[in-house]
Amino acid sequence: MAKIGMMSFAHMHAYSYAACLNELPEAEFVAVWDDSANRGRAAAKQFGTSFVGGLEKFLALDTDGVIVTSENVKHPALVEAAAKAGKWILCEKPLAPTVKEAKAMVAACKKAGVGLGTAFPCRYSPPLIAVKDLIASGEYGTLYAANCTNNGQFPGGWFANDELAGGGATMDHTVHVADVLRWMTGKEFVSVYCENGALLHPRIKTDDLGSLHLEMEDGLQVSHIASWSRSESFPTWGDVTLEIVAEKGVIAVDAFNQKLNVYNDDAVRAEWAYWGGNPDLGLVKDFVAAVEGRREPAVTGVDGLRAVEVTVAAYKSARSGRKVRV
Amino acid sequence: MNLAIIGCGGMGRMHAQLAANCGFKLVACADKRKENAEALADAHKADAVRNPMAAIRRADVDVVGIMTPTPTHTQYVVAAAEAGKDVFCEKPFGRTVQQCKEAIAAVKKAKVKLFVGHVVRYFQEFEAMRQQVADGKVGKVGFVKLYRGGIFPVGVDGWFRDYEQSGGVTFDSMIHDLDWLRYVFGDASRVFCQALRRTTPECIDYAQATFRMKSGVIAKVIGTWAHPSGFRVEAEICGDKGMIQFNSDETPMKTMKRTRPGEVPGMIVPGSPVPVSPYQLEWEDFQVWREGKAQARVTPDDALEAVRMAAAALKSADTGKPVRL
Repeated sequence: MAKIGMMSFAHMHAYSYAACLNELPEAEFVAVWDDSANRGRAAAKQFGTSFVGGLEKFLALDTDGVIVTSENVKHPALVEAAAKAGKWILCEKPLAPTVKEAKAMVAACKKAGVGLGTAFPCRYSPPLIAVKDLIASGEYGTLYAANCTNNGQFPGGWFANDELAGGGATMDHTVHVADVLRWMTGKEFVSVYCENGALLHPRIKTDDLGSLHLEMEDGLQVSHIASWSRSESFPTWGDVTLEIVAEKGVIAVDAFNQKLNVYNDDAVRAEWAYWGGNPDLGLVKDFVAAVEGRREPAVTGVDGLRAVEVTVAAYKSARSGRKVRV
Repeated sequence: MNLAIIGCGGMGRMHAQLAANCGFKLVACADKRKENAEALADAHKADAVRNPMAAIRRADVDVVGIMTPTPTHTQYVVAAAEAGKDVFCEKPFGRTVQQCKEAIAAVKKAKVKLFVGHVVRYFQEFEAMRQQVADGKVGKVGFVKLYRGGIFPVGVDGWFRDYEQSGGVTFDSMIHDLDWLRYVFGDASRVFCQALRRTTPECIDYAQATFRMKSGVIAKVIGTWAHPSGFRVEAEICGDKGMIQFNSDETPMKTMKRTRPGEVPGMIVPGSPVPVSPYQLEWEDFQVWREGKAQARVTPDDALEAVRMAAAALKSADTGKPVRL
């Protein structure tokens, strides 16, 4: 039985990971820490576990691993504290707002001899796994180009504030696809050009849409839209899509397009009822197994670092108006 | 209202019929493939000629329709203008900005009318999107995404495969979306573009471009000649209070023909039947302009700007750098 604690419910994904912990018989959800006591207490109550207010007290508990789901800028301090306390760590993406911090987090975990995973649940999405397998089969030959999106609704709150998020939609919604492409192709990113801005929510203190053009090893041409462009009235949270152009054909995937169209007169909008597999469950299950087996999680801290390198280069490009090497 | 058609392939045949529907009389057909010119001439009781210049200069011709491969467009536009004829030219009307400027200069000097077939402005779904935006349905627009394409076109002697001549999907297909983008959202200030333009092991092209418009709007435009079959158009417009999506796969009718033994099964998507085809609307608009009743929806300068955008996109693809417009 792996004993797991959760550090902060600032990120909405915390609620899904907590539900996954409770669903897995091999995991025990020991406690919640949060720098917002009200939020932490409410979450602990919701998931039938206890709330511990002090960080030192929380890290002194008999736990094997922690899931860090705080505001992005707080990841480095929390991960390094947990590593020092000898905990296995699953950190929400992006691993950190800067490359320097992400590298320090990877180094701290290595030094402490603990596993560090980055929360990229797309690697557990059945349609995306099917695409990876198809590419690996060689049936489609050499890959030439990919046109991707990770669109979402506007998350608001601290996400819209660079001081807490470290970046906007360009950061929030590039890392998933950057990781998916590295995972599917086995290639690294070489360069990025990015146009971005606060285009749809002009009053926010960060960007809500980025249009990226990336080059991967062997000349693979990739473009990507990272956005919070889905309106409130849109029937679902957003999407992850890729159209991959290859030597022997085209593979198009819309990873969460397993849904029913639901029209309910009590709701203000039509809704999509998702019926596909839950990628978060695969992610948390692997973390729990990594904790029990004292191994690295399948999606590592270095994977998180690589995605951070791409987004940091994208911001550098957007500021300078130039193509930037990753 | 007598018409000469230069280039009697698929586009020439279609435009000849649309012009006839508007009251034009086809009198001369020119094509370097004699059989094409003769077939079209027979269908319309016109004369078939080998030499395009002979058709252009005929005294009884009022309008010249140019439906040949892109690299020949400018010379025929100039020749028609010098002969005092109005011109309907398929897009793009030149392969370079310089060529287009020369064509416009010739047209202005001769005081004739040049219409370039940027037909997307006449497509009902695109006009509906423009109207929705104008009505404020999505609020202030911040982002536009346009996607167009499918299979790699064949063309006479495979001329599309020569990217120097055709400009690939960017110059031949994406240019429709570039024109519409500018029509609805104004001028662009810069572009970054990636374009595949592969010739081995077979020809496929896939162009991905981001335009920053002078208004600040970001536009992502994708053109594909990379698909093994089919044709699809998608559009998305996002604003501060909503969004619009269009997908041409959502048609009011789809047909699936039962195949006989040995036949390859296929699915044909005939698109959306509409009261008047967008291509017909182009000819009607051109004719209204010729009669002096109103300016056509597409001006020669609009067509020049579309070429400028496509040329800038290809320059970016060649240099790997953003290009200012």
